[in-house]
Amino acid sequence: MALVRRNVVATADDVPPDRDDWIADLTSGDASIRRRAARALSRMPDAVPVLCTHLANEPGLSVRSIILTGLIVHRSAAVVNGLLPLLASEDANLRNSAIEALQQMPDEVAPHVESMLAHPDSDVRIFAVDVLAALAHPMVPEWLRRVVTNDPHVNVCAAALDALAEAGEPDVIPALQGLAERFSDVAFIRFAVDAAIRRIRGR
Amino acid sequence: MTMPVAQTETVISDEEFAKFREFFYRKTGIMFDAQKKYFAGRRIIDRMDKLGCATFREYFATIRFEASGDEMQRLVNQMTVNETYFFREDYQLKALVAGILPELAAGRNDGRPIRLWSVPCSSGEEPYSLAIYILEHWPDADRHDIEILGSDIDSAILAEAATGVYGERSLQRLPPELIRRYFSRVKDRGYRISEDLRRSIDFSQGNVVDPQFMRRFRDVDVIFCRNMLIYFDDRSRRETIEAMYDCLSPGGYICLGHSESMSRISSLFQPRKHADSIVYQKPSR
Amino acid sequence: MDMITVPKRNPRVLVVEDGITMRMFYRDVLEGAGFEVEEAVNGLEGVERAMTGSFDLLVVDINMPKMDGYQVIRTVREDPALWRVPVITISTEDKEQDALKAYDAGANFYMTKPVRPKDLEEMARLLTGTAIR
Repeated sequence: MALVRRNVVATADDVPPDRDDWIADLTSGDASIRRRAARALSRMPDAVPVLCTHLANEPGLSVRSIILTGLIVHRSAAVVNGLLPLLASEDANLRNSAIEALQQMPDEVAPHVESMLAHPDSDVRIFAVDVLAALAHPMVPEWLRRVVTNDPHVNVCAAALDALAEAGEPDVIPALQGLAERFSDVAFIRFAVDAAIRRIRGR
Repeated sequence: MTMPVAQTETVISDEEFAKFREFFYRKTGIMFDAQKKYFAGRRIIDRMDKLGCATFREYFATIRFEASGDEMQRLVNQMTVNETYFFREDYQLKALVAGILPELAAGRNDGRPIRLWSVPCSSGEEPYSLAIYILEHWPDADRHDIEILGSDIDSAILAEAATGVYGERSLQRLPPELIRRYFSRVKDRGYRISEDLRRSIDFSQGNVVDPQFMRRFRDVDVIFCRNMLIYFDDRSRRETIEAMYDCLSPGGYICLGHSESMSRISSLFQPRKHADSIVYQKPSR
Repeated sequence: MDMITVPKRNPRVLVVEDGITMRMFYRDVLEGAGFEVEEAVNGLEGVERAMTGSFDLLVVDINMPKMDGYQVIRTVREDPALWRVPVITISTEDKEQDALKAYDAGANFYMTKPVRPKDLEEMARLLTGTAIR
């Protein structure tokens, strides 16, 4: 008979290493050791700065994932400060993971939104809008309204339009119509404004 | 109480339903086609009543802006049907024997058993289905040692699994000759799975969100984690997937439920196609 | 590529893009051009759909969650069943190095947002050998 049974044996817990041991393990060449260290450190709120610093240098997706889960759980001003610079990262996975994590921290992100939306790089402003698109904060519609009214870059406005199709209320419609006028020569914007208004009105 | 279609129509417009569909799809990967508007609409209206929302817009704002995500989770619970029976979603069992097992076996030279883990295993239909399907449909089953593990958080349901007695409803997808081969009739109770199979599954009780429990599972080749993660909150889902990554051997697989999508959960796994189904593989290195 | 072959059924296109209004826009343009359109909202879902559907064309956004467009294209090009599917990539970037990066990954064509309907339609028809009206 090919089916064999082996009882799953509970292994004894290791003698817990201390914080410095875990920090040292974060630079191990073995990803499974780094994962274990990340898991342990992400249970320690005072390890947030170490984790944020390490995140930017961690090549392994599986280790990054564990660090980010820990940062999401801790969700503090320090965490947001550690994640915001990653919006400008060239590493798409790192950037997207940071966006995902920030989306989970509405109250902690709120004080930074204005400066994020004023970033000189239009791509970073797009990523900031991406954070807002899934952020559960009551100010989101108003922040997005300001983007479609004031941002000079068409693709930043397009991203905000997208987010408003879901999060917008009827009071934002005049701002959307203004956007369509501002970019009257861009076929996509005309289309997207119409679509967004339909979604917001519910008809 | 049946609700006439017209009433659903007036409470939620087509455009509003389109907005809801898109949001639900973005968050869960589940897409309601237009025909499902009545089904989904009823459940939304139900939740609207319970929360005292006068309009759909009010309810949507709740699920869109609620930081805890609790109402969204309640809604997911309402929208999904979860029943267990033998050979459920057997297209994945087919992918297992036609693609996954041959691939694993080809690379297995050291005599280590191929380890499959069904979690949650509930009342046992899934791990026993794995056993039966492999014995029936994998020609090389005799040439390899196969371990099947089954875990659940609920010890009462695990006791049921160990007892292995099932009603007709649970066996509805099994051809009669398989019922004859692997079950014996128990008067007034249904069918009992053979003692050989009962003895061959390694059942354990535990919580996937408990790191100590998860540490017991290593070198797993295939995890069947169907219709569980969809009910978890974001944090538990992340932690569970990350823990399962560690439980798996390099090149090991996770199989999710039919309406679940790894693309809403994690990018740690690579999609692979076996026998026309998508399953998810841990990188080999 | 045989340019005068007319496909017997409507050509199928998969749009991989996380923005809802963008997806609606591409759908509008491509359905208007006679394509059957399916959608995926992130890169990983895009790869899954591409693997299980049979598409004549992929339209892939570069900046997406879970797997970016470059990675989607690379994964598709490595798949023996998919490697020949034409791919249009769409990006907010307008720098030469990003176009090169897209072509390096295996894209057939690279466009920048905001996309003009006529440009998308023409390129979609060209890449699938569909007759130009």
